[in-house]
Amino acid sequence: MPSPSRNGATKAGDWRNYERVLLPPVRDLHRFEVYVKHGGYEALRAVLTHSKKWAPDKVTEAVKASGLRGRGGAGFSTGLKWSFMPPVDPGTPRYIACNGDESEPGTFKDRQLMEYNPHLIFEGILIAARAMQIDATYLYIRGEYVDWIRHMEHELAKLYAEGYVGKRILGTDFSSEIIIHKGAGAYICGEETSLLESVEGKRAYPRIKPPFPAQKGLWGCPTTVNNVETLACAPLIINRGAEWFAGIGAEKHPGPVLYGLSGHVERPGVYEYPTGMLITDLIEEVAGGMRGGKKLKAIVPGGASVPVLRADMIDGVTMDTESLREAGSMMGTAGMLVMDEDTDMVKFLRRVTRFYHHESCGQCTPCREGTGWIENLVTRIDEGEGTLRDLDILMDLCDQMEGRTVCALADAAAWPVRNTIQRFREEFEAKCRQSIYAMA
Amino acid sequence: MSDFIKHPVVPLPDRLPEPVFSEKDLVFTDAEKEQIEEFRGQYPTPEGAVMKTLWLAQEKFGFLPPEVIRLVADTIEIPFSLAYGVATFYTQYYKAKKGSHVLDVCTCFSCQLCGGYDMLHYLEEKLGVREGETTEDGLFTIQGVECLGACGTAPMLQVTNGPYVHNLSREKLDALIDALKDGDMPPFVSVTLPQDEDALDGNRRSDAEATDTGRTPPIAETLE
Repeated sequence: MPSPSRNGATKAGDWRNYERVLLPPVRDLHRFEVYVKHGGYEALRAVLTHSKKWAPDKVTEAVKASGLRGRGGAGFSTGLKWSFMPPVDPGTPRYIACNGDESEPGTFKDRQLMEYNPHLIFEGILIAARAMQIDATYLYIRGEYVDWIRHMEHELAKLYAEGYVGKRILGTDFSSEIIIHKGAGAYICGEETSLLESVEGKRAYPRIKPPFPAQKGLWGCPTTVNNVETLACAPLIINRGAEWFAGIGAEKHPGPVLYGLSGHVERPGVYEYPTGMLITDLIEEVAGGMRGGKKLKAIVPGGASVPVLRADMIDGVTMDTESLREAGSMMGTAGMLVMDEDTDMVKFLRRVTRFYHHESCGQCTPCREGTGWIENLVTRIDEGEGTLRDLDILMDLCDQMEGRTVCALADAAAWPVRNTIQRFREEFEAKCRQSIYAMA
Repeated sequence: MSDFIKHPVVPLPDRLPEPVFSEKDLVFTDAEKEQIEEFRGQYPTPEGAVMKTLWLAQEKFGFLPPEVIRLVADTIEIPFSLAYGVATFYTQYYKAKKGSHVLDVCTCFSCQLCGGYDMLHYLEEKLGVREGETTEDGLFTIQGVECLGACGTAPMLQVTNGPYVHNLSREKLDALIDALKDGDMPPFVSVTLPQDEDALDGNRRSDAEATDTGRTPPIAETLE
C-alpha cells in the first residue's frame, strides 16, 4: 500500500504499474525510422493538418489545460509561458530557445533523453513552434555533451532530409528551422536570459527582466525559453490529450518526470515515474535503498541550488512543488542527491560554495564577491580555523546576496548555505568549537 | 570524501607571451572557411557564429592563444575584443597549451560523495603532477571540473572535451592511462537506465558501440 501524503490524498500511488512515455522501453527508439514506426511524428502531423481542431492557440490551450510545468527548475506553467508570446508581426522573427544546458549538479536527465529519445524532443519543438508560429529554434546543448550533440545533429540531418524540419514541413505551408548551438562550459548559460546572450555569441551575462524574453529575446525578437524535457511532453499531450496528462501524478504538478537519483543509493540513475512520488519510495524502492545499508542523513531533492532536507523532514513529502515547498525545499530539476550518515555536511557545503564561486559570471558585485566570501568562510571552518561568529557572518552574507542581483545565481548560492547551516548547525558549531581559534 | 586540493599560487607573467603560431600557420583551409560560412548562415548576426568557430579553431590548433582568437575574429568579421571576451568566459576553451589528453575529473557533489576526489588524487599521484598541471612528456593534463551531468555514474571523468568514462575505480584509471598512452581513446559508453535493465534486458541501443566518440585532436596535421 502506498502511504498517503501529508494532505491525505494518495498521490502517484500506482507508480509501480506506471507505463513509461518519455523513455518507453523500445529498442533503438533514438533512430528516426524506429520512432516513426512507433507512431512518432503523428502528433506533429495532426497539429499541422487538422488546422481546425489544432489551430495554434488551441495547441497552447491544450498545454495549459494539461497543467504541464517547466522541468528545468522553476516549474512555471508552460502553456501560460507560451501564451505570453505577442501576436505575429510580419517581418519580426520569432524564436524558441530550447534549454539543454543542464549544468546543475545532480541533474543528468536531459542527456539521457537526448540520447534515447531525441525525436520526442524534436517533435515537441516543432509542435511548440507551430503553436507559437516560430521561425527558428536554437537548441542549446552544453559543450561537454559532444557525443550527444553529434548524435542529435545526426538525427536532425535525417529530419531535414525527410522534410520534417525546414521549409514547408510535411508539405504544409508551415516552415520552421532547428539549429543546434554548442555551449562551451558555463553553468550560467542555463539561466534563460544568459542562454540567449550565449546564443547571440556573447559572454553569457544574464539580462535584467523585464523585458521578458517573450517581448525581447533573441536579437530583440519574441522568444520562448523551454527546457528539453518540457518540450518533450508536448507530443504526449497532443497524442493522448490534456486530461490524460493532468491525471498523472500530483494534482498541481502533473505529468511524467525524469528523476535523477545519485549519491549514496544502491541503484543510481535516471528513472521515469509520475510526479508526486513519495521521496521515501524513491529512495527505498526505486533506487534500491541506501548503499551498504547505511542510514539516510540528508537529501537535496532537485539539484544543487534547492535547500537540503534532513532525513527526519522527508516523511510523507512528495516530489511536487506544493509538498516540497511545505517541507521547506523545492522540486527544481528532480535530480535528487542522497547522502548517508557518514557524510560531512561542512565538506559538502564547502564544495557547494566552491561550485557557485567558480560559476558566478561576475556581472553583479554581490554575487561575484559574495560567492567568493562564502567559499572562503566555509573553507576556513572546514579547515579547523573557523569561529562561531563566522556562522553569523555567513548568514549576513546570504542576506546581502539574495535578491540583489540580475539573476538567481546569487540566491541559488545563498540558499544552500543558509539551509545547510540552519539544518545541520551542530556540525558547523562542533567544527568551530574544535578550531584553533575557539574561545576557551 | 577526501580532502580538497590546495591550489598553488600562480605568478602572473610580466609581459605578453610571444605568439605560439607563426603567421603562415595561422590560416583556415578552404574547407574550414566553408564550414565557418555555414555557421554564419545559422545566425542573423556574425557574432552568433563565434562560439562554433572558436571550437573549430581549438580543434585545429589545440588551444586558443590571442593570435588564434584574432584569426577567428577576422574570419567572421567581428571585433577582436568580442571574440576574446567570449573565448575567456567559457571554461572549455583552452587559453593555454594543454597536454595531448586532458583528464577532466568531476568533483561536484555526487562525484564528491562517491569518491571523485580519491580518483583525482590517485591520478595526481600516478602521473606525478597536481590538478591543473601537465606531465613533463606533455601527454596528460589533470583538471578538477564542475558537474559534467553524469551524476548517476559517479565518479566519472571526461577525456579532452570528448568521451565520458563512467564509474571510475583505480583499476579503471590504470587501464585508461595505459590505453591513452597507446593512443586509444576510450569508447563511447551508453549509460543504461535502471528501468531498461528490467524491461529490455540491458541497453536499449544496439548501435551504441558503433558510435564514434568526439575528440579534440592534437594540433592539426595541416600545420607545418
